Amino acid sequence: MPRSPTARPKLDRFTLPNGLRVVLAPDAASPTASVWVWYRVGSKNEHPGITGASHWVEHMLFQGSPRYGKGEIDRAVVGVGGVLNAFTDTDFTAYFSTVPREHLSVPLDIESDRMTRALITDPEVARERTVIHSEREGNENWPEFRVEEELYQLAFRVHPYRWEVLGRRTDIERMSGAELRDYYHQYYGTGNAVLVVAGGFDRAATARDVRRRFSRLPKSGGDVRVSDVEPPARGERRAELSGPGTTPYVELGWRSPALRDPETPATMVLDTILGGESRLFSAGGGWGRASEHPASRLYRALVDPGLAVRAGSEWRPREYPSLFTIQAQAARGVSADRLEEAIDGVVDRICRTGPTHAELEDVRAKARRGATLAYEGASRIGFRLGYFATVADLEFEDELLAKILAVRRDDVRDRARDLFQTAARTVVHYTPTEGVPRDD
Amino acid sequence: MIESSPLRLEYAEPIDGLRVVRQSPPAGAASFSATYVGPAGWGFDPAAERGVARMVNHLITTAAGRLDRVALARRLDRAGATLSRDTSPEAAEVTLWGPADAWRSLLPVLADVVLRPRFDPEDIARLRRQLFERQLREETQPASRAERELRRAVFPPGHPYRETGLGDRRTVERVDRAALRRFHRAHYVRTGASIVLTTRAPLRSVVEAVREEFEELPRTVPERLELPTLSDRRATTVRIDLAGRSQVEVRVGGPSIPQSSPDYPAAFLANEALGGRPLLGRLFQRVREQNGLAYHASSHLDTMRLGGSWTAAAGTGPERWKKVVPMLEEEVDRLRRRGVPQGELDSVRTSAIGEMALALESTSDAHELAVEAAYHELPRDYWATWPERLRAVTPADVRRAARRAFDPNRSATVVVGPLRAPRDV
Repeated sequence: MPRSPTARPKLDRFTLPNGLRVVLAPDAASPTASVWVWYRVGSKNEHPGITGASHWVEHMLFQGSPRYGKGEIDRAVVGVGGVLNAFTDTDFTAYFSTVPREHLSVPLDIESDRMTRALITDPEVARERTVIHSEREGNENWPEFRVEEELYQLAFRVHPYRWEVLGRRTDIERMSGAELRDYYHQYYGTGNAVLVVAGGFDRAATARDVRRRFSRLPKSGGDVRVSDVEPPARGERRAELSGPGTTPYVELGWRSPALRDPETPATMVLDTILGGESRLFSAGGGWGRASEHPASRLYRALVDPGLAVRAGSEWRPREYPSLFTIQAQAARGVSADRLEEAIDGVVDRICRTGPTHAELEDVRAKARRGATLAYEGASRIGFRLGYFATVADLEFEDELLAKILAVRRDDVRDRARDLFQTAARTVVHYTPTEGVPRDD
Repeated sequence: MIESSPLRLEYAEPIDGLRVVRQSPPAGAASFSATYVGPAGWGFDPAAERGVARMVNHLITTAAGRLDRVALARRLDRAGATLSRDTSPEAAEVTLWGPADAWRSLLPVLADVVLRPRFDPEDIARLRRQLFERQLREETQPASRAERELRRAVFPPGHPYRETGLGDRRTVERVDRAALRRFHRAHYVRTGASIVLTTRAPLRSVVEAVREEFEELPRTVPERLELPTLSDRRATTVRIDLAGRSQVEVRVGGPSIPQSSPDYPAAFLANEALGGRPLLGRLFQRVREQNGLAYHASSHLDTMRLGGSWTAAAGTGPERWKKVVPMLEEEVDRLRRRGVPQGELDSVRTSAIGEMALALESTSDAHELAVEAAYHELPRDYWATWPERLRAVTPADVRRAARRAFDPNRSATVVVGPLRAPRDV
């Protein structure tokens, strides 16, 4: 097998008869072991009435299974010095535990127990309902969350990407335990999951242990293709929001390709040139992005001249076509319209002239860096392997990196022209309603 | 090349007061980290120039030496490196992170940042604009407003821990280039400062490099930060109604002990039991797991060189905060009065000791331990022997430490957000 251009470690991969895909990444020197289970289920699999079900099920998988009563999963992992958590996205739900290496059997036992046999009882569903409400309320305190929810709701009319992963308030209020159990049994199971184990363990012994624990689980769970196809937008869509906040905030979204579309590499380069960073190959290799990129085009056009205090772009890698977004927070005294005008100027310039040679070289350097420094520590390795194995396949990272490095200036310019069609964009303005002193 | 445990630090003889600390990275690490940490926190802000410490810390990482902000950003991007910064009431730090084999070629960037910041006028103007928005955010966001109000309720005027370092519009406007340079010259110095490197290079090479790159670091002795004595005062409650939000943020907190206190290991475990240990803590268990009242419920013990503070926190809905507040207060009170029983203590202790392995996952994780040790001037084997100190803690130690570290005098309860439930409106 040719050596990966990324720093991906040497792997052992196999699939159990029940369909569970397993990836082992042993590192004899690692003091920790990290277990990740990725399910190909997310808000894309929901429908109106049960929006937020994926996220709610994620919470319920900590609330009891046959061998682990309520709270025992937390105690088992944290009690040995480990950390654990889970997160839900549009296309996947991932669970992870990182423990001192000698305790690897703890998370393996937990995951094998809750993969198909989580209890999801009605009393626990009722108690968790307010927790979910509270999580949503915490997010609603941020204008950025309100704007993004509105943006996707407006941009999509058919596809499930139109609702927030947390779900609609009314669905959180209404959803029953029976609906959550049905959802869990439909999508969770060996047939729809990837198990990744990374860190300090013996390859052969762990492979045996994984086979012993997971092979006896029934084949269940499936990744259902989303058949709803979003029709092309025939015109610009706009919304004006107002509420508590500091200064006007603007977000624009354009229809963008899915992760495996041929346009993706140039879209990622475009994202890096405009906003300074791209997911998947960002500093540190995690899912987040650094907040300030003084060399990026949006920063130089909006923040430097005093129009904005923050500005960035974002293309999220998704299974189905989604949005490329640009967002900016105004400096005091600057209107949302003025910000939008400045963003239009940035978009117009990149469409006309494309990136400079130096910008392209910077992007390539960043992509190489992201790919080589991303694999440090068992937790990051588990995240990265699980992500790529779930949304594409493990070789896809290499392919994507190679394609990003091969993107030319004309490719980016053409991509920008194709992407930034005014007719297909969605715009949300947020105006603060209170307590913002006028410029004196 | 040296390979040893990242938990055993190497300290060189100080170079004219500047401490130099070397740490081995975790096995197989692909990156290095280098930090300057020194006595440049916002507790040193002159009253009329509040905000200057954070501004200096921000601006020195923006443009330095011959590199303006764009050139510096591109230099870092090309090298695969990042610069990060942090300030607290007492200290400021700047951290450079990058590919392991580039530590020596990148160290001059950190030296430029610490020694030769440009304070370009357009950078100052831009940061002012950003700070004005941050100040508004602190005012209008329930979580940050609650943190700020708690500090104000607990610490009296003039106390270094009372502020959040953002200043206000008037003071930030007053901070000009001269004020920035003045603060930088006085506080980015050798005495009380450390350079910490997590790298495979041997200590000798690290010392040589630091000596060469940081030769210009001033030998002036910075002013000393002093904490005023806190007089006893009954607990207070602050409620701020911010309508239009969805979540109410609750904070209960007060002054605490410094990191150097002999009670620290026991206080650390007391906080772990209260809410510092994610998912295991009493606050999380009672507020979220048993009663389903909030998404987040935790506690935090912030121990600095001179003193400290503690906070119990939760975020909940407008119709639930009245139930959550007494739960937080009761749990803190229970901890003070009864401490932590042996079984629970064993559980949080095992967890805390086990977690040391996780601190060695990556260079960045391990580096944080080294920076903490350097700043607090902890013994070089402090982290290697940390499990022993935790094992020695008894329930009686925890009870005693909890009374001191979670001092009820001057404590406060702060509630910020949409305080009227929908049915009350």
